[in-house]
Amino acid sequence: MAIKYYWEDFTPGWVIETPTRTLSEQDIVRFAREYDPQIFHTDAEAARATPFGGLIASGWQTCGITMRLMCDGYLLETSCVGSPGLEELRWLKPVRPGDTLRLRSTVLESTPSGKQPNRGTVLFRWDTLNQNDEIVLSMRGRQLFLRRAPAPPEQDSPKA
Amino acid sequence: MSYKYYWEDFAPGQVRETGGHSLSEDEIIEFARKYDPQPFHIDRDKAKQSAFGGLIASGWQTAGLCMRMLCDLYLLESASMGSPGVDEVRWVKPVRPGDTLRLKSTVLETRASASRPDMGTVRSRSEVYNQHGELVMRMSGVGMFRRRSPGT
Repeated sequence: MAIKYYWEDFTPGWVIETPTRTLSEQDIVRFAREYDPQIFHTDAEAARATPFGGLIASGWQTCGITMRLMCDGYLLETSCVGSPGLEELRWLKPVRPGDTLRLRSTVLESTPSGKQPNRGTVLFRWDTLNQNDEIVLSMRGRQLFLRRAPAPPEQDSPKA
Repeated sequence: MSYKYYWEDFAPGQVRETGGHSLSEDEIIEFARKYDPQPFHIDRDKAKQSAFGGLIASGWQTAGLCMRMLCDLYLLESASMGSPGVDEVRWVKPVRPGDTLRLKSTVLETRASASRPDMGTVRSRSEVYNQHGELVMRMSGVGMFRRRSPGT
């Protein structure tokens, strides 16, 4: 796939909203059986008696869906070379079977790499919204991107 | 239903550790096709040419496995009421096919809830190590737990 966005394209204020994905009860249970088998994620009947009042998706599945929305929305057309991590991750509202999620990505900050002239870091805010426009997941995290053009060498650095 | 662990059973400094959990290439590709289809997670050849020099697991799969190990370690036997979130997630080293991961979970802080006398929160640090003893991922998260007896 051709690369459309490089590090230089992610400037503060850049914002994009992705298309949606809908999560079924089967998706929720299948993920949870493997990665997060708490009863409110795996057993619709038992989940009714919990404080959640019914089956909810594992928060980690919401993260996975968010990643998929990002990939399909724009990330696969970028020069992304991974992520060092997240500063903050908040599960603000439960995600339930049938919910339709979309992602809003906003660039907060962009920093050239100190060590690698062909890369830069971008700090994003990622908000995942449901069909009622409620934010269900909010994260702040960094991703690394290759630059379209390497950073010019610093004035005082010796030429090779 | 009664549990083994309630909020009162967690105390700062407690350390719990799991045995190993291995990850195959098929599992890495299957997860990534569904949740994180970047070439270095799903395509062995393209991954070889990437900065990672080979296939690596999605960081979200490592986080998922960390959750699974937490579940098996104590969470399924505890009066867990979910989590509001985590901080400082760091994917420190790539996880590769055949790696065997284990979890070290350390309780950092416990707090009674001011608004809910029947629950409290536990902040803990999760560290995931590979078979070489290298840290691959860490994070610090908060869990909500029911109390054995309500506070006053």
